Amino acid sequence: MNPGERKVMVVPCSGIGKTYGTVSREAAYEVTEDQRPQSTQLVALSLLVLGDADARAAVRAHPAVTIDGCKLACAAKMVQESGGQVAQGIAVLDVYRRNRQLKPQGIAELNEGGLQLAHAVAGEITAVVDGLVAREEAPHA
Amino acid sequence: MPDYLETTVDKFIFKVATDRLYSAEGVWALADGNRIRVGVTDFLQQLNGDVAFAEVRPEGTAVASGDEVAAIETIKANVSVTSPVGGTVAEVNPAMELSPEAINQDPYGQGWLVVIDASDWPTDRDALLGPQAYFELMKAQAEEEAQKP
Repeated sequence: MNPGERKVMVVPCSGIGKTYGTVSREAAYEVTEDQRPQSTQLVALSLLVLGDADARAAVRAHPAVTIDGCKLACAAKMVQESGGQVAQGIAVLDVYRRNRQLKPQGIAELNEGGLQLAHAVAGEITAVVDGLVAREEAPHA
Repeated sequence: MPDYLETTVDKFIFKVATDRLYSAEGVWALADGNRIRVGVTDFLQQLNGDVAFAEVRPEGTAVASGDEVAAIETIKANVSVTSPVGGTVAEVNPAMELSPEAINQDPYGQGWLVVIDASDWPTDRDALLGPQAYFELMKAQAEEEAQKP
């Protein structure tokens, strides 16, 4: 990881074996690999849990967008415990409430609703990322 | 603020309010005369996880004991909540529309579902469990859940 090249850290929950956790990770992949690869960096929650020095440095040096699949909000809590700032926490459940037609199902493989929900979550993350990047790039008064 | 019976199973703490009656399915009934406030237990809400949507039968709906009075969609399951009492839905918790997470946050308080004007409360009451009896049943159910892979 080279956090100096990225501006916003994206931290999805681990939620292994949970549908909403899978949605959070799919959304994170979409943002960091497809939609905004230049301005984002995926940080694995497990690395923060393990105290990985690079991962901790990354969330300390850059704003983080967390994506949580349930109210335990492990991603947001772990960023904070690592000394980072959560610029925006996104809850998959809240996005689902706004898009009830996108009912997610499946764990290893999401159904179509789940994939579309991940896409909707990714859209919300992208909007946040764009705002953060614009703020960072704006000339200081 | 009710008192609670409390137990820990695995890493979870489950509470049972002592001021009301229960069905074996994890639905509570709190009587105020003939008006019965209905909601789900702490065990049922924890078992099924975060609530996404709660659809409650509208005011004026006639329900028999055992009829569905609410349908709750959580991140894990669709839960049919059956009425512990027969009668007519007199009041619906408005929080269920916009903030159904109240069921998770405060299952015995703000997370109530409906108030039912009971048609024969004495008879329905006799079919329900007291808090201690439900507590023992819930503990067995929780331990059974904890054994599942």
